[in-house]
Amino acid sequence: MVKKCASRLYMALIFAFLYLPIVVLIILSFNRSNTRVNWKGFTLDWYVRCFQNENIMSAFATTLEITFIAAILATIIGTLAALGISAMKKRGKTIFLGATNIPLLNADIVTGISMMLLFVRFTHLGFVTVLIAHVTFNIPYVILNILPKLKQANRCTYEAALDLGASPLYAFYKVTWPEIRPGVFSGFLMAVTMSLDDFSITYFTKGAGINTLSTMLYTELRKGIKPELYALSTILFFTVLLLLIAANLNPDKITAPVSKRTVYLKRAACTAILASLVLGSLAIFADGSRFSSDGPSITVLNYGKYLDEDALREFEEESGIKVNYEEYEDPEEMYTKYKAGSIDYDVICTSDYIIEKLIQEDEVLEISYDDMPNYQNLNPDIIDMTASFDPKHRYTVPYFYGTLGILYNTELVRPEDVESWDCLWNGSYADDMIMIGSVRDAFAPALITLGYSLNDTDETHLREALDILKAQSAQVSAYYVDETCDEMIAENAAIAVCYSGEAGEAMAENDHLAYSVPKEGSNLWIDSWFIPKTCQNQEGAQKFLDFLCRDDISMANFEYVYYASPNLSVAENQDAELKENEAVNPSEEVLRRCEVYRALNDEKTVLYNSLWQELIGHSS
Amino acid sequence: MTMKKNLIDFIDISKSYDGNLVLDEFNLYVRENEFVTLLGPSGCGKTTTLRLLGGFETPDTGKILFDSVDITNLPANERKLNTVFQKYSLFPHMSIAENIAFGLKISKKSKQYIEDKIKYALKLVNLDGFEHRSVDSLSGGQQQRIAIARAIVNEPKVLLLDEPLGALDLKLRQNMQYELMRLKEELGITFLYVTHDQEEALTMSDTIVVMNQGYIQQIGTPEMIYNEPENAFVADFIGHSNIIDGTMIEDKLVEILGVKMACVDEGFGKMTPVDVVIRPEDVELVKPEDGYLTGEVTSLIFKGVHYELDVMANGYEWLVHTTQYVPVGTQVGIRVIPFNIQIMHKPESSDEKAVEIDE
Ligand SMILES: Nc1ncnc2c1ncn2[C@@H]1O[C@H](COP(=O)(O)OP(=O)(O)OP(=O)(O)O)[C@@H](O)[C@H]1O
Ligand SMILES: [Mg+2]
Repeated sequence: MVKKCASRLYMALIFAFLYLPIVVLIILSFNRSNTRVNWKGFTLDWYVRCFQNENIMSAFATTLEITFIAAILATIIGTLAALGISAMKKRGKTIFLGATNIPLLNADIVTGISMMLLFVRFTHLGFVTVLIAHVTFNIPYVILNILPKLKQANRCTYEAALDLGASPLYAFYKVTWPEIRPGVFSGFLMAVTMSLDDFSITYFTKGAGINTLSTMLYTELRKGIKPELYALSTILFFTVLLLLIAANLNPDKITAPVSKRTVYLKRAACTAILASLVLGSLAIFADGSRFSSDGPSITVLNYGKYLDEDALREFEEESGIKVNYEEYEDPEEMYTKYKAGSIDYDVICTSDYIIEKLIQEDEVLEISYDDMPNYQNLNPDIIDMTASFDPKHRYTVPYFYGTLGILYNTELVRPEDVESWDCLWNGSYADDMIMIGSVRDAFAPALITLGYSLNDTDETHLREALDILKAQSAQVSAYYVDETCDEMIAENAAIAVCYSGEAGEAMAENDHLAYSVPKEGSNLWIDSWFIPKTCQNQEGAQKFLDFLCRDDISMANFEYVYYASPNLSVAENQDAELKENEAVNPSEEVLRRCEVYRALNDEKTVLYNSLWQELIGHSS
Repeated sequence: MTMKKNLIDFIDISKSYDGNLVLDEFNLYVRENEFVTLLGPSGCGKTTTLRLLGGFETPDTGKILFDSVDITNLPANERKLNTVFQKYSLFPHMSIAENIAFGLKISKKSKQYIEDKIKYALKLVNLDGFEHRSVDSLSGGQQQRIAIARAIVNEPKVLLLDEPLGALDLKLRQNMQYELMRLKEELGITFLYVTHDQEEALTMSDTIVVMNQGYIQQIGTPEMIYNEPENAFVADFIGHSNIIDGTMIEDKLVEILGVKMACVDEGFGKMTPVDVVIRPEDVELVKPEDGYLTGEVTSLIFKGVHYELDVMANGYEWLVHTTQYVPVGTQVGIRVIPFNIQIMHKPESSDEKAVEIDE
């Protein structure tokens, strides 16, 4: 009895563990509120919006195309391969099977990266490379689904058909095929599931402008709350679930030759294959631009949610240049991909220290500002401050800037307290404090408190900073980056170290929140555009940058992002309250005491990372 | 038998799998309308022989003639013969009727013809009314019979059958044996038949080929094989026999187990070591004082028509079939009339090593 109860409980726990996250996601997809923290009633709006969202729908179309074309190709190739393998001698069979199984065991990310490295050797990453990658990783699944069926089918029946006068082709069609068909079908479904589901491999092999649902979900979800995506994930989850059930229901025990189920299945399989063929070809037709690139175009890479996409449409109309727009989240990741040679973008927006590094590595093209009449709309003071990463102002166009500071809850914290970084170390907010979870941003306040520059890389100085951080760690409730905003809105902590942009977002949601840049100084970040050496259309790229500097467009983007814009007219044309908001517009006085991060060399990067590991190890 | 021409010739066929010699210099001919049976222990190469003829394997050396035409490299589907495979080989996703119609549809026979043939074949194998059953709903024996039906409806010139009656009970087996022999007479089909069962071979065949480990041990009519086995292997394989080391003292006189016995064989020379074969039913049990040898009954099994006894005499355990009841422990005398003593050469060459019975 006890044993039974225990085993039930155990099962319940396992299921809860497995499915709770998905259940939460599903519930959130029906939540009227667009934050994660509170429930404001049931709605189907997000599902409606999900289907109206152009981004999602285009990713959806790409996903369908890739999934079905890849699954069909993989099924054909896999079936032939399985036939070949089953006809092999034992030794060959073992070797070959082993070889096909390795990709299954390989971590997806390894497969993804190695394919990327292979592809960039011969071609540009794009739709076709994703397709090839998908076909490749689908094949083993197809083979593994068919081989057991082939084994069952035994050569005897095939030989019997030959013996009765059938040609090899006819014998295969009449005898072998019906026996392996369920395997082919479930292999196909498996391939569809795998393709639909895949993230890592797609992520590394896709080119600019290509997004599948999973890669889009990844970038979008990291950007934060967008409940359409919960709706989309929910739909995706149930689709995959249904496919898996279908693949597993697939009857190998059906034997009665004319049973209704076989007929039904036959029909289902045919329909599925036909439908996918039609869908696939339709999608190709509808999206022919993917394969033919007539007319000028540029490919733009930007941080997620960092540009008003209406502006893109406007640019396309005015200039006649088509824009392939793509977003990313993590600058280090972007850098790695860029260095691997797998990025073909014409113009990129990223963080100051990444640009500094790329300039040092001679990866950036000079911009001819003379051809950009709108460039003069930018604040010369801000342009001056870009000198830290672009010393002679030859390579970059600043886009948004901001500071690192303290977001605090005015109900719990006196403003005087957060005028100095000391509040982080003096114990006043023990266990009520969120520390920023990125390396340099965590060290910066400590270095500044010690009186050093945040660009100081002297190891003894850094170790002193580490000691402070270690002492602080016992009082820190969590190290966060992306979650800070939500946690502060939910009032789960009194103070948090974060960027001005996030602080502004949080303040818009919760009136009790305010932002301060401590008097000792802080980090100033300037996200800027540059044109990489790989640019295929430099003229188009410059036109685009000039367009971004236009007053109306700068304003539109400002109103989309609410970060400080270097455009002079934007600063002038906002209402007083916004102008005063330190989280949006750092005052001149604040800017004066801030400093831009300088790029670290490899040695210092390693040092920083090891210190960070030491801190994390200490605090946990 | 009137001389008919050879329909099939195996000429110097050798076949090995992964360096394992399965057939070695195999030579055999089959005449038109002949019923040839391959008989031999498991693994001796019977199925391999049929598969070579069916076109599912190619020989390493040698060639196969069909009607004097070399078919060694002809694809299986173009050979004018049909096979009933040892392993069940019905098409599981087709009904019985579809199975039987498979070959007929390929040769584009009319619907009516096919229907008639299905009916006829099912009747022949005693499974009328099974048209719409599924393969899986049939017993092993029934499946085997459908396989026979599926082959014969094509009226092939040659039918290859690999232990087709293995899964049937005695009564049904005898029925099917009879039907197959009738087919041979009526349709003039030539049979190459494989079996383990020596009784079946003796009943049905015109010619029996006794094989062991890839070598042909003896080819002959059932009578020849049974009555005059050429070596100890054949003798032992065709019914259990007493095979005893002996010495040919001179023509018509042999010594076994220390006793000289009269026999009818000549020409072995003097004092030659030989194998002596005496069939169990040829051993007479008499009173101890009347026998050439005396011994004691050590076991007794009732076999239906006769008793099977073991008699220990002069250090050899004799196998004896008799209708008398002789209880265990009885002292008996053993006699054999000269005609029933079969003298054979001992194997000498390495080739003939294969003669030794495996296991
Ligand atoms: N495809 C193959 N690969 C390797 N060895 C094989 C193959 N087919 C047959 N053999 C070997 O060849 C030998 C002869 O096999 P074969 O099937 O001809 O025997 P058989 O006389 O039909 O036996 P049984 O009475 O058991 O059916 C056996 O030792 C078998 O293991
Ligand atoms: Mg066999």
